[in-house]
Amino acid sequence: MSEVHTLESRLLTTGTERLALLGKHADALMQGYTRDEVPLEALTDAALRKLLAARILWRPDEQSGVKLSPKVRDLIAEMLADETRRHVNADVAETLELIRSLVQSYREARSRGEYWQQEQQLLRLRQELDDLNGRFADAIDSLWQRLNSDFGFVSRLNDKIRENHRAQKQIERLLDGLTLIDFDELIALVGSDGTLRKLLISQLQQQLSQHYTSLREVQRRLTELMARFRQQQSQSRLVAGMAAFLREHPGFVPGNYARRSEVPALVNRATPLIAAAAPALDRHQDAAVLSELIRQLPAPVHSPQAVEAAQPAEQQLESHVAARQQALKQDVERFYLTVVDEADAAGAPGISALGYLHARELEWQDEIWLFQVIAEYQSLPRSEQRAFRLHQEESQASSYNHVRLIHDVTLTLALSA
Amino acid sequence: MIEHGPLIERLLAGDFICAVSDENAFRRLQDEQVREQLDTYLRPLNRRLAANPENSVYFLAWRNLNDEAREQLSQQLGETLHSLLPLLEWLRLVQEALGRDALVAPGDVLKPAEFSAKCEDNQSLRERLERLATDSFFGSQSEQLDAQLKQVFKRLKEHGYLLQPHADRQVYLVTGKVDYLIDLVRFIRDEENLPIDEEAPATQEALL
Repeated sequence: MSEVHTLESRLLTTGTERLALLGKHADALMQGYTRDEVPLEALTDAALRKLLAARILWRPDEQSGVKLSPKVRDLIAEMLADETRRHVNADVAETLELIRSLVQSYREARSRGEYWQQEQQLLRLRQELDDLNGRFADAIDSLWQRLNSDFGFVSRLNDKIRENHRAQKQIERLLDGLTLIDFDELIALVGSDGTLRKLLISQLQQQLSQHYTSLREVQRRLTELMARFRQQQSQSRLVAGMAAFLREHPGFVPGNYARRSEVPALVNRATPLIAAAAPALDRHQDAAVLSELIRQLPAPVHSPQAVEAAQPAEQQLESHVAARQQALKQDVERFYLTVVDEADAAGAPGISALGYLHARELEWQDEIWLFQVIAEYQSLPRSEQRAFRLHQEESQASSYNHVRLIHDVTLTLALSA
Repeated sequence: MIEHGPLIERLLAGDFICAVSDENAFRRLQDEQVREQLDTYLRPLNRRLAANPENSVYFLAWRNLNDEAREQLSQQLGETLHSLLPLLEWLRLVQEALGRDALVAPGDVLKPAEFSAKCEDNQSLRERLERLATDSFFGSQSEQLDAQLKQVFKRLKEHGYLLQPHADRQVYLVTGKVDYLIDLVRFIRDEENLPIDEEAPATQEALL
């Protein structure tokens, strides 16, 4: 037992030491990954010896440089998901051989009653199965990665087609690998052992059937993608070819397909037809919409035009209005003077504008009169405005709003202090 | 029918409807019942709904090919042929400028600024663009690279091959009409038995 423990602890120390080498010389190793060889300047002799002993590096022959070992290269490709270098290799046949022999050793150990040996064999068996499962899962992951990136790691269509082809071959190999696993044989192999049965039959079967489904799905998608690549390629060739042909044959005229009895579907394209419409006023309910539209139109900008013929009539009208306006203004001014005169005589009683209008029997409408009286007051200079007080007799129009109606105004001369 | 109003109007105006130009309308057009409804509606206008072989783009065709329709189609065919070489050259130019070996496809995003940068760096691309822009189909009068590009994109937009989602942004989407163009090219090649090979590796390119 102690011997076994020593062995295990020695493995542990060496393994840890060697794994640490990967981190310690990561720079140099990565340079070896991207280039052909590992640059030796970065490594001391002792470090190089250790790396060679750990089989991280190897030297193909005396003359050549030092290279990464295939396993380390795979490991790095795996870690980087570097699809150009990632290897897909399920190696089922070899694993099956190993499983058979491990099962044999396990059963022998059990029959000899060597409990520890038995456990060790079981552990290795479990690891081998995990590895097998992991290799499939990994290969499938790598395939999905390539598929989902549209083989983005190569740029030319030809390379994409080649890569797709390679991936399809890998799938075939993986599927072949899966068919190597014969569950009838495994059932016979494990016999009545419950632990083995669980490990080798139920668990493995479930995992493998999942892988099988995934592989079929990837295969289907790869075929689809391949069809798309091929279509892109043929389209591109078609366009290039036709362009070249037309350039070489500038006078080329194809047949007039439009005159055939059966016009080909592709060239039958109807003339554009604009569904025109104009504003119509024959429907009452549209009137509101149309008038709203007209109101929204920007006001047309007319440059002033001298219209000779219309001038006399217009002038007449204008002068008539102006004369009326002037008369109203003069009447209002007289009203103001009256207020001033009256105030001189008898204090400042104030005169009702409407009262004045009616007393003098002037022709103006009440409203216009009041409006003009107020307007006159407001147009006075501030200093003269102070000489008058305009009292508005008003009432509220309704209890729902604040509109006030002016019924009359009373003008009073404010006596200056 | 009323919900199809805008779609019918676009179709009548000669627009090509694809997943890029109007995704919503395109989805509706994939429904056979809707297509039948539209066809019934279009019947008095002597038009029917048509699509390219892959059904990736819809447009209106004459229902009954009377003399008038045939006359118009002959004329249209002539115009199409006149624009064919410049359009194909443009497709090739885009492909090369962007360093791709597939053609542009519906939904691809194109930015004039990107081309401008590529053409400035590459004299041969610059010359080809110049030749293309001054072709009568694109009709650029300018000697400036940016103005030429602007004109090329403008014309392609007018002809429905490109779509500009935002009027103030110089970003364009390739529409399904490109599919139609390629289908038409394939059709002409087949009809005329032109010596253009789609399958074997293109040796034509090497000869050019």
